[in-house]
Amino acid sequence: MRKFIGLTKRNLLIYFKDKGAIVFSLLTSLIVLVLYLLFLKGTYQDAFDSVLEEVQGIGMLIKSEDVEAFINVTLLIGMMGSAMITVPYSCLTTIVKDRESRIDYDISATPIKRWQIILSYFTSAAVSACIMTGFLLTAGLVILNLNGGILLEAVDILKAYGMVILGSVSATGFFMTMMPFFKTSQSSSAFFGMLSAASGFVIGAYIPISEFSETVQTVCNIFPATHVTVAVRNILMRGVMDSFDSSIGGLDGGVFAESIRSAFTFNARMFGNDLGMRQSILYIGAFTLVSIIIMIFAYSKTYRRK
Amino acid sequence: MKAITVNNLIKDYKEHRAVDGISFEVEEGELFAFLGENGAGKSTTINILSTILRKTSGEVTVFGHELEKDDDSIRALIGIVFQNSVLDSKLTVKENLYTRGAYYGLTKKQTDERLAEFREGFELDEIWNRRYENLSGGQRRRVDIARALIHDPKILFLDEPTTGLDPKSRKIVWDHIDYLRREKKMTIFLTTHYMEETADADNVVILDKGKVIAKGTPSQLKTKYASSRLVWYTEEDEENEKILSGMKHTYDSDHYNISFRDSITELLYNYRNKITDYEVIKGSMDDVFLNLTGREMEGV
Repeated sequence: MRKFIGLTKRNLLIYFKDKGAIVFSLLTSLIVLVLYLLFLKGTYQDAFDSVLEEVQGIGMLIKSEDVEAFINVTLLIGMMGSAMITVPYSCLTTIVKDRESRIDYDISATPIKRWQIILSYFTSAAVSACIMTGFLLTAGLVILNLNGGILLEAVDILKAYGMVILGSVSATGFFMTMMPFFKTSQSSSAFFGMLSAASGFVIGAYIPISEFSETVQTVCNIFPATHVTVAVRNILMRGVMDSFDSSIGGLDGGVFAESIRSAFTFNARMFGNDLGMRQSILYIGAFTLVSIIIMIFAYSKTYRRK
Repeated sequence: MKAITVNNLIKDYKEHRAVDGISFEVEEGELFAFLGENGAGKSTTINILSTILRKTSGEVTVFGHELEKDDDSIRALIGIVFQNSVLDSKLTVKENLYTRGAYYGLTKKQTDERLAEFREGFELDEIWNRRYENLSGGQRRRVDIARALIHDPKILFLDEPTTGLDPKSRKIVWDHIDYLRREKKMTIFLTTHYMEETADADNVVILDKGKVIAKGTPSQLKTKYASSRLVWYTEEDEENEKILSGMKHTYDSDHYNISFRDSITELLYNYRNKITDYEVIKGSMDDVFLNLTGREMEGV
């Protein structure tokens, strides 16, 4: 066990000791933040206003601080969703770098079992993703609280952290299956560039996924990270949505809430069907399991001596 | 006891045979040198012996443990200094060594105890908290050797440990190797393409294109494959020419250069009153390699 912990610690140190790598791995989250400051906040506000226009007569009832909280949580979810994708990928590129620089030879010549080597890469990337995304969530909740309350119960917060763990593990499992295909760190970095650019769209950080066509929505929801983002949205928005409901007092028969849920993608959608939270979690679990099975198969070949 | 036995080892890479039926033995406590050019199969052999690469065929044992059947036991007995640095550049010397110690199940305390033995000699204290990427070539090599010794191995593999180092760093590395050999009685398996580094070896195996082309002690190899030279300081005259008739010789300003293969004792004894000012220069390992392969070593 000490051998496994030692290697996992080494992998974690490599990520956390490299400030450049940390910033790079959070690049998409930072871009989401910068875009929010530049114009995304306005875009979210416009989308919110257009829902208000649809359901006439309730605009006066909605508290401006709730709208502010709603938009800020949307930003937080966008940043978290991106980090859940880019951080584990960035950590897992250690596998490619180790292979390229022959550090894997050094590891292979020690008594650490092969499965422990693979598991340590997986664990360290998942833990890094949990720490970084957890940090974003914590920082976000603190800022929201300072800006007028987070409107969440302890159980919601615990659920959100639970989803951070699930999202980090599922994304790590998915990317583990890809790493054997990268022969050089140049190719894995090139893919990271594409991933950084695409991840913000796939999880709906820039534009709500519901704005896309059915086919694109299905494609986006193939990735568990999108389901996780939707699930986190449901969890973190529950307090704000309840506050909207109590402000409206049932005057609209629930139309406003339904319109918001639809406009801001509160349900993952695949092949024209909405998936509930439970179904999304089942999908993430199944996807992660399949990823791990593929990972075991792929790495038993990769780490077999040539 | 035999530290390593290798019998008819073969390693194929698709169409290419990197190691072609080599056999040799390494005695416990000896300095064993593997000499050959780049691509001769030295690193491939080390990587097979250290359980990293799979052999195509042949039998290998390390301290009695059979390779590919008892690899974990072998891994606990070996330490390797790779040709290229394999420590983490962003981590400090301390972090690198503690994490590597953990690979062998050592606690921080156990690693410290282990390091205490050579911390001073390797001058690790002054670089302890420095990042590996900020060390000089010589300092890095010292840390590499410390890493290889962290679990107290019985065999130390050194894969071209001085390649790319300046003469001063080379000397430091060799001082450490000498210390391990003399004080710790450690078995050292060295690969090199520097001829002079094999001079102190107990046994040398010369590899060429994956095959063993010669093996023996440096002295045996020089006697067998390299001409030695007698330098006789005297006048060039008819009488001396007569003594040297039938021997390959030249005259150079104030001395004769006489090449010989086996022994020069008979000549020196027979003309002991005549040949009084002389020196015998034994053939070098460069000559051995040149005579065996018909070409000089690359990159030397």
